[in-house]
Amino acid sequence: MKIIAIIIAKIIIFFGNILKRGSSLPGKIALKIDHNLLKKLHYPTTRIIVTGSSGKGTTSSLIANTLKKTGAKVCFNNMGSNLAWGITTSLIRSSTIFGRITSNYLVLEIDERYTKDIFPALKPTHLVITNLTKDQPPRQHDIDLVYADIKKNLSPKTKIITTIDEPYLRKFALDLSTDPVYYSIAKNKYSYKNQIFENLNTYFCPICNTRLNYQYYNFETLGNYSCPNCSFKYEKPDYLGQALDLETETITINSKEVLIGGDMLYNAYNTMSAFATLKELNLDEDLIISSLNTLNQKEPKKFTINNILYYPISCKAENATTYNQAVFKVMHDSNPKDIIIGWKEISRRYNHFDISWLYDIEFELLNNKSLNKIYACGIDKNNIKKRLILSGIPENKIITSDDIPSIKPSVLNDNVNVYGILNFDYIEPFNNTFKDFDKEAKK
Amino acid sequence: MTVNILHLYPDELNLYGENGNLKALKYLLEKENIKVNILSYDINSKLDFKDINFIYMGSGRPEFLAKAKEHLKLYREELSLYLKQDKIMLITGSALSTLDFLSLYEVEKYDTYKVADVTATTSLCPGVIKAFQNTQYLIKNTNNLIFNLESGYGNNNTMLEGFKYHNLYVTSLIGPILARNDELTKYFIDLLKENKA
Repeated sequence: MKIIAIIIAKIIIFFGNILKRGSSLPGKIALKIDHNLLKKLHYPTTRIIVTGSSGKGTTSSLIANTLKKTGAKVCFNNMGSNLAWGITTSLIRSSTIFGRITSNYLVLEIDERYTKDIFPALKPTHLVITNLTKDQPPRQHDIDLVYADIKKNLSPKTKIITTIDEPYLRKFALDLSTDPVYYSIAKNKYSYKNQIFENLNTYFCPICNTRLNYQYYNFETLGNYSCPNCSFKYEKPDYLGQALDLETETITINSKEVLIGGDMLYNAYNTMSAFATLKELNLDEDLIISSLNTLNQKEPKKFTINNILYYPISCKAENATTYNQAVFKVMHDSNPKDIIIGWKEISRRYNHFDISWLYDIEFELLNNKSLNKIYACGIDKNNIKKRLILSGIPENKIITSDDIPSIKPSVLNDNVNVYGILNFDYIEPFNNTFKDFDKEAKK
Repeated sequence: MTVNILHLYPDELNLYGENGNLKALKYLLEKENIKVNILSYDINSKLDFKDINFIYMGSGRPEFLAKAKEHLKLYREELSLYLKQDKIMLITGSALSTLDFLSLYEVEKYDTYKVADVTATTSLCPGVIKAFQNTQYLIKNTNNLIFNLESGYGNNNTMLEGFKYHNLYVTSLIGPILARNDELTKYFIDLLKENKA
């Protein structure tokens, strides 16, 4: 059955390539023919799984593409799907008809609720956990469930690579008696002393449940913590990123400056995560840094027209942490500004209409003198408006609109910097609306 | 007029943005020129309900719900007295599991989460209530109900939801329910004004 499943899937992949259509159909068909296919494949010696609430796509891509630069063959599910069918499709792509994956490395980005199903077959040598935060409440419910799912079927022999800045992630080491590899971002010019975010879940000691004290916060519950009741505390990491500079988009690792691929804090954490993993794979440090510097050279997302900054920040709907990062970014600009908030749809996975996560975002931090106007756009414009009103933002500063193009005249007339705190599906409408203006101006 | 609101365990029980309920209550109270003090107690605090007009508690992770319940049990008598005085207490989401020790209602814990968009009506206020459910806990009783559900999960497999005793209001509905339903918030504001009169 195994060989038939692989051959049929490969035929579908072949025709998909001709038609230039990548999909998870080959994996779906293969698993239908042989339910136990994943257990029957022969995997490379080094098997790296990347999971977490966010950042797993970027991190796994940095790892896989750096490994490729060494000349190694890498099986990587870069086709977009991190669930069963997509992963199986990627594996069959790199496998012989007898089920031997001929790559030197396996790098898979896997949905955090699905790792438990794939660990028994894959037996990962390395597990990278980028973060665990509030995310998709109708599906994830609460962080303890996600934690339990990742821990399930995870062997203590698997080397965990994660950040020591998040106290909740230390639970893996405590519960599994393992010795993870930790990375950290040192106190920097964006760190702060007193907590500015509400509704966080993970600032409790994983040993005695006492609320932790923090010397400083990098963001939300990331920082330097200690328990006032027991010996649990932040400890020296294996890899430390220093002198974080979001303006130059760099961090310094072992006295070497590294590009982080953007000006958001999560860019730095993703880069640290990839660096730590690649070091653990014994790659040469100069090669890693050179590769990260190349891979992290990205087109800036912000643009300037007539001295006005336009900055669309991509967030993930139903993930308050990604929105909080955007809020954290915007609040550091003290210049007068307009802000556009919106999305096409909350979830592509299900039809639930849950807006509770809007109340986990700290929109209160945007309520200051530099805020000129705030535009609530899209299907949930009225719910966004209500949330903004309840954050104390004056009602006369809040404007609702069905879409972004409709607010263009008003925004241009405001003549101040424009930030978009947007679900990823609203980035293109933002760019189309305001970059078009650039083209029109040049005509 | 000043209203003292007690938010129980906001550090520990804060799963689904439910402090939005208090933001909504405060906003509409202040619109009526009523001064609002919001106090909060954590799981190690000494509780004192004497000057409190409104107690609120929202959803949390099971580990912290259990701790909240243990803490509240220490104040069984004070809490009973507070409720018998017709003072207001609103419990939303999974926090409903913490008060079963008062023996006013029973709680059913389900293996899987009940996740649903909720539309409902209630005798407390006019209009349609819009809310959400994301819980393993529902009330078992089918007496002293609050909501008639058009969609969602009711008590004991019915389409009736919630539990009311004096001015204790217990519901599995989140949303945040007050932030999404001004008429319901106004009901509680009228109740606060009545209690203060």
